[in-house]
Amino acid sequence: MRILHQIEYKPARVVGGYTDRILRVDLGKQKITIQELPPDFKNKYVGGRGYALKLIWDGTTQETRYDSPENILVMASGPLGNEPAFPGTGKFVVGTISPLTDTFIDSNIGGHFGPLLKLAGFDALAVAGISRKDVVILVDGDVQTISIAAAPVYDREIDEGALSFGDSLLKDINDGEYSDSIAAVTAGKGAFNSRFGIVNSLFFDLRRKRIRSKQAGRGGTGTVMRYKGLRGIVARSSLSKVNGNNAIDKEGVRRAGSQLKAVISKCDSQQLNMSTWGTTGLSEYMDKFHIFPINNYQYGHSPESSKLFAQVFLDKYFSKKIPDGCYYGCNLACAKGAENVRLSRGPKAGLVVGIDGPEYETVGAVSSMGIFDPHFVMEYSWYCDEYGIDTISTGVTISFFMECLQRGFLSTDDVGYELSFGNIEAADRLVHEIASGEGFGKVVGQGVARGKKWVAQKYAARNGTSEDAVMAELNKFGMEVKGLEFSMYITKESLAQQGGYGFALKGPQHDEAWLIFIDQVHKELPTLEDKANALKWFPLIRTWFNATGLCKLPWIDVRNPEAAKTAEPAKNLPTLAYYVAYLNATTGSNKRLEDVLDDSERLYILQKLINLRQGKGTRISDQIPLRAMGPVYFNEYEARAEYYDEWLQQQLGDNKAPSSPEQRHKLLMEKRIQAYQQLCDIVYEKKGFTSQGIPKHETVEKFGLTDEQARQLLKESGV
Amino acid sequence: MQRLVTNTDSINMPITEKTRLSDALEYVKQQYPGLHLEEGTIIAAVNLEVASLDRILKDKDTVSFLPNIAGG
Repeated sequence: MRILHQIEYKPARVVGGYTDRILRVDLGKQKITIQELPPDFKNKYVGGRGYALKLIWDGTTQETRYDSPENILVMASGPLGNEPAFPGTGKFVVGTISPLTDTFIDSNIGGHFGPLLKLAGFDALAVAGISRKDVVILVDGDVQTISIAAAPVYDREIDEGALSFGDSLLKDINDGEYSDSIAAVTAGKGAFNSRFGIVNSLFFDLRRKRIRSKQAGRGGTGTVMRYKGLRGIVARSSLSKVNGNNAIDKEGVRRAGSQLKAVISKCDSQQLNMSTWGTTGLSEYMDKFHIFPINNYQYGHSPESSKLFAQVFLDKYFSKKIPDGCYYGCNLACAKGAENVRLSRGPKAGLVVGIDGPEYETVGAVSSMGIFDPHFVMEYSWYCDEYGIDTISTGVTISFFMECLQRGFLSTDDVGYELSFGNIEAADRLVHEIASGEGFGKVVGQGVARGKKWVAQKYAARNGTSEDAVMAELNKFGMEVKGLEFSMYITKESLAQQGGYGFALKGPQHDEAWLIFIDQVHKELPTLEDKANALKWFPLIRTWFNATGLCKLPWIDVRNPEAAKTAEPAKNLPTLAYYVAYLNATTGSNKRLEDVLDDSERLYILQKLINLRQGKGTRISDQIPLRAMGPVYFNEYEARAEYYDEWLQQQLGDNKAPSSPEQRHKLLMEKRIQAYQQLCDIVYEKKGFTSQGIPKHETVEKFGLTDEQARQLLKESGV
Repeated sequence: MQRLVTNTDSINMPITEKTRLSDALEYVKQQYPGLHLEEGTIIAAVNLEVASLDRILKDKDTVSFLPNIAGG
């Protein structure tokens, strides 16, 4: 490998979860520096998302876009991200200015890269600048060097793929052998040719004897990586992973970890059974409650959905009886995978591959295209990972265009071929075109927000109508907010989840607030006040997971039986107590849950300020498509007319509902729109925002965030 | 998961005018002792709406016992 620039360094030792160092690389200047952090930095910004937010806040401006040289690609774990004695560690976040939303995005990701980067001496890696030629970064804690090297050339097919390039790279730098002391992140050609490129996290799985991958899927972090000319980053450390955080109180860590492992061990098999089914178990529940996003979120349920239920993947694909944790020590072990799957479509047809996944979101994305073929799900999952594109945004954008054809906004001539719901061949073709930036894929690869503009211009020019009028119609079913495509849940019947998507600072991704079952099915949030409280509390605790290097699933998807005795079982507070104990034992702090939530709120407000600076921080940016609120088109209403009529009558009380179905449909949608606006009002108040969704001075001040930039920003925002 | 124990998607049960949701729960427990249906660890729904265990059942009601789902 041709080294372009290299420094020698002495790796800092991890103490209490931190090294207090950030590795900074400027690819434009080929400069590598090590930033020593002051002691209060970690107290204020925690780690993970918090570090990424602070670096982006300080290092970018209102004008910064995803492809600007000053944009920073941050990869950061947190103080709790490296502990096999506690389930669900190993997570890190990738944060940057997004090509889809033009504001901060972060996406969390499993695998070994975060822990190995930490063991190699760094709490975070921040990459700025743009390299003129493709490069890789090598962080080698063993030989104590950090290098920028010319991206190696293997062969064209390997070089274009995120998985295959990463596989070759990991062997290449270790004399042709895999090792669990080395991990990599990579981005494939699709990440360069679309706005929703992902970062793959590749690690050697000792049990499967192959390289496995996890993905930072949302918001185009891989696109930023490729635009920087960065093809891969490798971290190596042979230091022991046991007690990787070097906890202050090792016995406290062991105790907290044992308690959580016991709950998972006892309860998972009786609940969601994720250790067997992974996340695909959700498909059946979502379909049952009309939440499965079929045909671009038009219908939540289909007789065909059972073809995509967990048992199908278990019977046909998943390797059974292999504990599939994405990091050591996780007994939830939900990162399911399949071996020896023969691809039947696309340029690699005939190739036999190992496939990591699919996750529920990928299954949902395929259903959004009206496709119910499990083998296509497997292939779609593999190709998207190999190309480096987000399965969610890819599926939602394709399904948006399918609906544009369904409703006559586009014709087959515009696409070049038939593109209808359920058309596997067309969907498959489009995936490859997106990845190559060719044909209609060039348009689809821009995502829904930009796709709407493209359709509006085309339709308006052809029909002599105004673009605004067309946009108003497309906004009804173009499933994006702030520029990010929705994840895979229909929110029509859950006002709380409408807020969960609308207020989510990064855009409609459920990792900030997943309230749909608590609200729609469990009925635990009956009032607006209840929903608003949940919309404040859940994003804060979930932010903490993204700041500390932890996976949320062992907390949120395995209900501790003791939670039933608490006032708010959905918060699963008995299990959260183990997490707080783990934090204190690791870092030597003495925090309560309330303190943890305060730490998170500081990060939440900082992210809100970045959104405000980037033009995505006011009430208008929190508005959701009408389809997310209810059955926006009559065909959706008709599909569940009895249910909707009953719902409407409940709202009207003693008043009589209109006699015609069309009028009832219209009135129902008016009620839904009104409810969402009421929710906005009360949620903003709870969060300390103005009625326009802007943080008040006192809110910013409370968390010590009133620097000169914040002061100026609030002034310009009229606050 | 439950289907692995029951080998069926649904079962029918006889009801009277006084049959409650709690009776349905007991009935299923007796039919399938291998199912884990402890109170507090599941939610019970009637016709896809969560319901309290003292709810009186009607003919053609569909009862579901589900795990708590709170995440993703």
